[in-house]
Amino acid sequence: MSARLAYETASVGYPGVTVIREASLAVASGEIVGLIGPNGAGKSTLLRAVTGTATVSAGRIALLGEPLDTLGSRQRARVVGVVPQSVSAAFSFNALEFVLMGRHPHLGRLQHVESADIALAEEVMERTDTLRLAAEPVDTLSGGDLQRLALAQALAQEPAVLLLDEATSHLDLNHRLQVLDLVRELADGGLAVLAVFHDLDLAARFSDRLGVVSDGALGPIGSPRDVLTAPLLAQVFRVRAVVGTDAVTGAVTVTPVLREEAVTGTQRGKVLVVGGMGSAAPLLRRLHLAGYEVSAAALNRGDVDQAVAEALGMAHVALPAFGEVDEEAENAVVRMAEDADAVVVCEVPFGRANLGNLRALAGAAARTVLVGEFGPERDFSGGAAGALVDQLRAVGAVSVADTETALREIARIT
Amino acid sequence: MAAPTRPRRATVIAVLFVALALVMLAGVGFGAVSVGPADIVRAIGRAITGEARAAGDAVIVDIRLPRVFLAALVGACLASAGVLYQALFRNPLADPYILGMSAGAGLGAVIALTLTASATALRFGVVPAGAFLGAVLTIVLVVRLASLRGTLDVTSLLLAGVAISYALSALTSFVMVFFRESMTSVVFWMMGGLTAASWPYVFMVTPMLALGLAVPLFATRELNLMLLGEERAGELGVDVERFKRLLLAVGALLVAAAVSVSGLIGFVGLMTPHMVRLVIGPDHRVLLPASAIGGAIVMVLADLAARTVLAPVEIPVGIVTALVGGPFFVWLLVRRNGHR
Repeated sequence: MSARLAYETASVGYPGVTVIREASLAVASGEIVGLIGPNGAGKSTLLRAVTGTATVSAGRIALLGEPLDTLGSRQRARVVGVVPQSVSAAFSFNALEFVLMGRHPHLGRLQHVESADIALAEEVMERTDTLRLAAEPVDTLSGGDLQRLALAQALAQEPAVLLLDEATSHLDLNHRLQVLDLVRELADGGLAVLAVFHDLDLAARFSDRLGVVSDGALGPIGSPRDVLTAPLLAQVFRVRAVVGTDAVTGAVTVTPVLREEAVTGTQRGKVLVVGGMGSAAPLLRRLHLAGYEVSAAALNRGDVDQAVAEALGMAHVALPAFGEVDEEAENAVVRMAEDADAVVVCEVPFGRANLGNLRALAGAAARTVLVGEFGPERDFSGGAAGALVDQLRAVGAVSVADTETALREIARIT
Repeated sequence: MAAPTRPRRATVIAVLFVALALVMLAGVGFGAVSVGPADIVRAIGRAITGEARAAGDAVIVDIRLPRVFLAALVGACLASAGVLYQALFRNPLADPYILGMSAGAGLGAVIALTLTASATALRFGVVPAGAFLGAVLTIVLVVRLASLRGTLDVTSLLLAGVAISYALSALTSFVMVFFRESMTSVVFWMMGGLTAASWPYVFMVTPMLALGLAVPLFATRELNLMLLGEERAGELGVDVERFKRLLLAVGALLVAAAVSVSGLIGFVGLMTPHMVRLVIGPDHRVLLPASAIGGAIVMVLADLAARTVLAPVEIPVGIVTALVGGPFFVWLLVRRNGHR
């Protein structure tokens, strides 16, 4: 595999400051490599080093196998197109003239744009959905339109390598997907793409490989699934997150649950939460933020509540997907309930599989809070669950209407 | 490729050239003694063919013609320099006078003048060289000063320009007081005047303008790209650092040409490109040549006004341009603030 763009232990930065040390990365024809990382980590600096705005202080960067410093500005611009974070348009060129500026590296000193250049510009404008703006002065256009025109301008360079620096940040949902779908299509046609992403879900969805930039270095590069893990997100972004799979696209999704800094230092009581099917997730988060020591009862793997409990590092009994609360699990929940200052049963239906969670609470009924009505629509156990709930109520369990009142009740009990 | 609503390049240039010719005819024709266009053409014809001169020919050929030509050349120099600095700083308020370059060139020229006071023959080489050096040093100093706080923003650029301009004018006055005997002529020159115009001056300025205009005319695409910002221009293939140095040098050459023959004339470099841009848009392929011709027109008209409005008293032409350009600059400032 011959890389179109290669960082070979390149240290990049600005005069007197090294921002990223010894980055190694190769981007080949046909692939999109995404860069993610916290603000100010140096993602953009890595890209800027290619166009000469940032400097390479050690190692080297090669374009199509040629060291960068052997290429002149025009030569380089025939190979690399850039779509910047934001585009300014202080002077009123019209959109077509603006896109035609991308032809500069291909035109000789005395040459002016010809019909072939205009045809190419119109084609890239068509693909970026900007052709209808051709006669509009660019200084009257919106940020989103300008961003797509900047992409058209970069494509007019007929580049072999495309660099995107958070290029979709000013776009609405539709145009964001449109632009990234186009980039994907261009990559499938052979373009090598290195893109800085702000949005982790988009990064995961559109990148073949992802690299993490943090603490002055470019970390190991791998598939989105290998790179985007909860521990990495906690370490790099200082965010506890649930890493899941998008139901529709199959891409990795990242749902931030809370910031590391948001957890209060004050230690409050221990709370056991019985949930499942997402009924407990908001409460788990709220209790964790409020400083309670939270544990969760038995939860199935693949369940949202289980993912949240795991992301927040809460003790819980993890069952296999679709597995039942067996005797061993039930005993574990009994011990957790004994240990807890308060127990909350969320608005989850009960059936044969999770009845054990309810049975295990018998000894802790006096400090149990039941969220929501418990009617037949929540009972899939042929009445067994209803009977257990009634027993709990009989020996002191309190019923509350919703999460808010549950939180107040928990504060009272603990 | 021009937008459909904008006039075509060749048309713009042709119309401006015709206008310039007419204005120059008026410039030669009006004065203490008015001369008709036919007489002017005949006098020029006689001068070219070497025929014996008629009675009024000396006024036309030796006084008015070089003066009008010089006014046109100076106007073209100043307007072209304005275009270049406006592209360089991405700012329509940039102008050699406001940036302090005229003052720098003035000081350079005055020093050169006083040093060579005895050797007139040297002046044509030494004065422009002094002015060029003064202009280059000034713009480098102003840019350094303006970017002290990091980025080069408009406000600091204008402030630095004004501050340096004052300091340099003071230094110039100091030099003039020191060499008292040459003061009167220098003061008049400093205010911006074309009274001393003669053919040797015209021949000196012409190649400077030609060079100063030819170089950027080969780089109009780069000038357009600079308007997108230095970083974007670099991404699209401009060697930005080299191009900036080239623009600074070429602009300084144009300013030096104008200042060494006519002293400090402000606002032509600001007004002309702005008016031209309003009509034809920002494309330097048209903007640069059109502004050069436009500057020539403005300057010939300003000089005509300077000579005729209070005749027989002659106002320094720099005062005329400042009277018109000052309010124009204020209008620009107000309009820009309204946009934000």
